[in-house]
Amino acid sequence: MKRFVLGRLAWMLAILLAVSFIAFAMMRALPGDFAIAAAGSQSVAPEVLAAIRQDLGLDRSLLAQYWAWLGHAILGDLGTSFVTRQPVRPELFDRLAVTFQLTLVAAIISMVMGVATGLAAARMRGTVDWIVRLYNGVMLAVPNYVVATLIVLLFGLYFPQVSIFGYTPFLEDPLANIGSLLLPALALALAVSVTISENTRAAVLEVANQDFVMVARAKGLPPGRILRDYLVRNAMTPVITATGLKIAALLGGSILVETIFAIPGMGQYLFDSINSRDYPVIQAIVLTASAIVVVVNTMIDIAYARVDARVKL
Amino acid sequence: MKPPSFPMIAAEPDMAEELSRRSLLRLVLASSTLALSPAIMVGDAAAETPVSGGTLTIGADADPIGLDPVTLTAFSSYDFTSLIYTGLLRWSAQMKIEPDLALSYDQPDPKTYVFRLRQGVKFHNGQDFTANDVKHTFDRILNPASGSRLRASYSSVDAVTVIDPYTVKFQLNATDAAFLSNLATSPNGAIVPAGVENLNTQPVGTGPFVFEAYQPNLQFSLTAHASYYEKGQPHLSRVVFKFYKDQATLTSALRSRAIDMTWLKDPKVAAAIARTSPNLVSAPGQTSRTFPVWLNMKAKPLNDIRVRRALSLATDRKACLDTILGGSGKIGAMIPESQVGGYDGTGELPYYKHDPAAAKALLAEAGYPDGIDLGNYIIVAANPLDVACAQILQQQWQAAGITVKLVPMETAPLLTMWTTGTWPTLLSVALSWTPDSDATLQYITSGSNTGKGMGSNDAELDRMILEARAELDLGLRAAKNLAIQRHIADQAYIIQVYQYPLRWEIWWNYVKDYVPIAANIRSFVRTAWLKK
Repeated sequence: MKRFVLGRLAWMLAILLAVSFIAFAMMRALPGDFAIAAAGSQSVAPEVLAAIRQDLGLDRSLLAQYWAWLGHAILGDLGTSFVTRQPVRPELFDRLAVTFQLTLVAAIISMVMGVATGLAAARMRGTVDWIVRLYNGVMLAVPNYVVATLIVLLFGLYFPQVSIFGYTPFLEDPLANIGSLLLPALALALAVSVTISENTRAAVLEVANQDFVMVARAKGLPPGRILRDYLVRNAMTPVITATGLKIAALLGGSILVETIFAIPGMGQYLFDSINSRDYPVIQAIVLTASAIVVVVNTMIDIAYARVDARVKL
Repeated sequence: MKPPSFPMIAAEPDMAEELSRRSLLRLVLASSTLALSPAIMVGDAAAETPVSGGTLTIGADADPIGLDPVTLTAFSSYDFTSLIYTGLLRWSAQMKIEPDLALSYDQPDPKTYVFRLRQGVKFHNGQDFTANDVKHTFDRILNPASGSRLRASYSSVDAVTVIDPYTVKFQLNATDAAFLSNLATSPNGAIVPAGVENLNTQPVGTGPFVFEAYQPNLQFSLTAHASYYEKGQPHLSRVVFKFYKDQATLTSALRSRAIDMTWLKDPKVAAAIARTSPNLVSAPGQTSRTFPVWLNMKAKPLNDIRVRRALSLATDRKACLDTILGGSGKIGAMIPESQVGGYDGTGELPYYKHDPAAAKALLAEAGYPDGIDLGNYIIVAANPLDVACAQILQQQWQAAGITVKLVPMETAPLLTMWTTGTWPTLLSVALSWTPDSDATLQYITSGSNTGKGMGSNDAELDRMILEARAELDLGLRAAKNLAIQRHIADQAYIIQVYQYPLRWEIWWNYVKDYVPIAANIRSFVRTAWLKK
């Protein structure tokens, strides 16, 4: 067991190292750099651009730059943003908190909507089922940034009195904070909720045809109790697994949704940093995001190994 | 007697030995400020008395990158630095140069300027503003170690000398008509305090507003400078910029009054939004920006003047202007109309008449009787106006037998291509307003990096541009600039399509006395007030 855990941890570090290097190399393979992006279409003398690059250490070799970055990153120093000239770490943690909050609200919305529509479709055949499945099919095909843009336009045109734009920090005004996250979270949640809805429907239908449910029906238990104690309880396991897998999709979707709704989360941060070629920030975000994914996966692996005897140690 | 207009320079350029010509600047007293007040310029029925206080919230679409005017290169910073810092001179609402930190100047000879400075001005940190700060600013700019992009703009400045605390002398090594324009432009002429470091993150200036706080991507806030030197200004007690990267969100934020004013990139959107409420004011700024097609003339086929002229003849500029900008712009040439001698869109320039048949004939003469494929036409993907215009150009050119393939591209690599001259044949990137016509013309001189990139190699043109910069008389300079533009059009070095404001500004009508200007900054926030 100990060897298994240690092996997993070593594997985790190797993956993080590989991801950080690939991200580093890919960003630099993109044409254009910070100096060019900042100057825009103004005519800036080449020697000025060169001075900026030198100042930022962009004139050194790729490996030297990576090595220097890695040395600092291991010690927890994620560098200084080219754009704001401020250290990246505090900024990143602030934004991470915002993104987590947005993702959490979106996850709750998508669970509630998905399970409700899925159950309704599974229990009420006919028109309701048909409507839910049609809606799911359509929503699955529409990307979340389209939904986000439509929401922004609809509210901007028809309900300008609802001020939905921008973001209120939680500590400033908790209610306004939740309010400012509702619509972006909805835009984020819609696509995920239809997946959950489909999963719920399928799982409930599958469980409904199993022997123990038949027996319960034959015993004459009230339908409400069958639904609660037999169907939902047994159908939820695969649904929760699917939802967990979708959290990564939520994180990915947050990039565009945050940008559209002007929510200062990690997604918007990444979007802006890529546009302005703010390498230290991009590196820090990629490292943090991949660390989250890798750590969670490793924990799940280890947890499975603990509970499932079939996983060989 | 009318006060002398500014700058007042004798028409004869070679009268240096004449008694020193003096250009007196009107003192900007409260009374004259009223006479110049934006309310009157916009044509309000009655000038109202400004109310003090309140917070103006501006929707911004780009974060600043650095706040030190000497070292910054990012255009997105100007909006912020222009409220924090002021310079010796500034642009009026009509784009005329007027006094700011300097009250007047003498020009003992064409290469020497002696400025008399305002007294009693304080920096935001309480420090007194003196000639020493002016010297410090320009020493920093001219010091290669600073890596300032402005060093090129002030290349004619040899030395800055402090004569007494309120008099400063600039010694130039050549007559330079762009010198005063640069001084009047923010941030090019912004004065920074001596002995203060870290201006990039903690800016300190003499401007109407003091830097308060900046949360990247969220907001940037400023408070009124209590000891600002213009009486009664600023009226606002705070200015807050809120960032919205998405144009749809920006317009929705304006409609929901989350912001009081903003600017939009698309005239049609601005017009549509303005129509949604009678209480929205939309004023097009002066045209300040041109949309050119840059030609790579270093190789075949664009090194052949006949092919370039054919391209110009195949272009229906009027159709582009009407379709893309809904007419809210003008036909363009090298210099926009808001600069000395800029083209105002009227008057025929060579090869500007839309004539596909003549274009075909020229192509046949050049050896392409069956038309020509010019390959990739590279455009900025992020700018919908550019993309839409390129699509129209593609169709227009096709009608004259010129085939191009549109390649929308991310901005950073496109700029790299443009500045290094590595684009294959055609590329479009809009040219923003510059402090002086010379800065615009520098893009095409054979010595500049963009000029080298496009294969500019015309000694005659270089000479004309050099002479125009040395011409201090505005009338003569305008004539020279027009001749240069005519020459560029005749040789078809660049296909200029149209000119338009950088931004279509739009605000709620409770924001009073605000005027948009062509200089790409919001300097009139200093005179703005809220009537709520």
